[in-house]
Amino acid sequence: MQLRIYRFNPDTDAQPRMQDYDITPEAGDKKLLDVLIRLKSVDDSLSFRRSCREGICGSDAMNINGRNGLACLQSLDELKQPVVLRPLPGFPVIRDLIVDMTLFFAHYHSIKPYLINPESPPERERLQTPEQRERLNGLYECILCACCSAFCPSFWWNPDKFIGPAGLLQAYRFIADSRDTATAERLDYLDDVYRLYRCRTIMNCTEVCPKGLSPSHAIEQIRLALLKQSS
Amino acid sequence: MVRLFSGQRAWVAQRFTAVMLLAAVLAGLMWLLLGEPLDYTRWYALLTTPVGAVLTVLIFVMLAVHGWVGARDIVLDYVQPRGLRLALLGAILLVLAATLIRVVLVLATHGAT
Repeated sequence: MQLRIYRFNPDTDAQPRMQDYDITPEAGDKKLLDVLIRLKSVDDSLSFRRSCREGICGSDAMNINGRNGLACLQSLDELKQPVVLRPLPGFPVIRDLIVDMTLFFAHYHSIKPYLINPESPPERERLQTPEQRERLNGLYECILCACCSAFCPSFWWNPDKFIGPAGLLQAYRFIADSRDTATAERLDYLDDVYRLYRCRTIMNCTEVCPKGLSPSHAIEQIRLALLKQSS
Repeated sequence: MVRLFSGQRAWVAQRFTAVMLLAAVLAGLMWLLLGEPLDYTRWYALLTTPVGAVLTVLIFVMLAVHGWVGARDIVLDYVQPRGLRLALLGAILLVLAATLIRVVLVLATHGAT
């Protein structure tokens, strides 16, 4: 199997380069991450993030043949060779396939990704109707892998100001939660020319999400919620 | 200047003016197709009536609002240096304002004669 992998070591390299590898997958290798781990045993200078290897932690997001995805979910038999691997586009590279996600998580924290409810909690739990719970489906599953934000041109253009599809999906997850009482404050924060309205409805986010979620739908719902709030 | 029609207000204004301009284009097409052959006299007659003049000004106001939000978005997306960004936004505002003023002046001058 042939791979072309983006290599950059800030300590030794002035410029990034593409390195070619030829490796034979073994019988148990089904996903791209299996091959990368095997490659690491041959060339231990190759750096990439990985953890759960089953699409839950979101660590191994990378650009695979021009499209963002999770190496652990990418089947080998679907890949066109040579497999070109690059770090997530638009993010500063720390080393090889590892990117700096500081800004991404700063945006995530800015939307207050936790339930806000000053009322004292009931003895057991805050109950929801099945319909109220249903509204959270398609939102809570986000694993913050950043595949969507790193595939969003608006995020490439204004990464310091636009919250990005992942952050906005998370924002709507709490706006849509019947137990949260800070909807108005959340919407006021998002009503900004940069934070929300840099989205140009390109919909790359929805197209590329490895979990099959739709950040663009969540963004549309936030816009509608803002419209309802102001009318 | 960046925040002239900020956030939701700009988003709503852009969509509202888009719908209004679409209606204006359709109405204009109907007027073109159903009326007599289009010549200078017919244009003049339309634009010098009070209703025609007011509608024309309204269309240009909506065009300016729609154009401002769209052009501002393009500048915010693609132009990062602050000085160049402000200069471009200023130039766009100037062109839109000058166009509007010229439309009003032309209509007022000819309407008065």
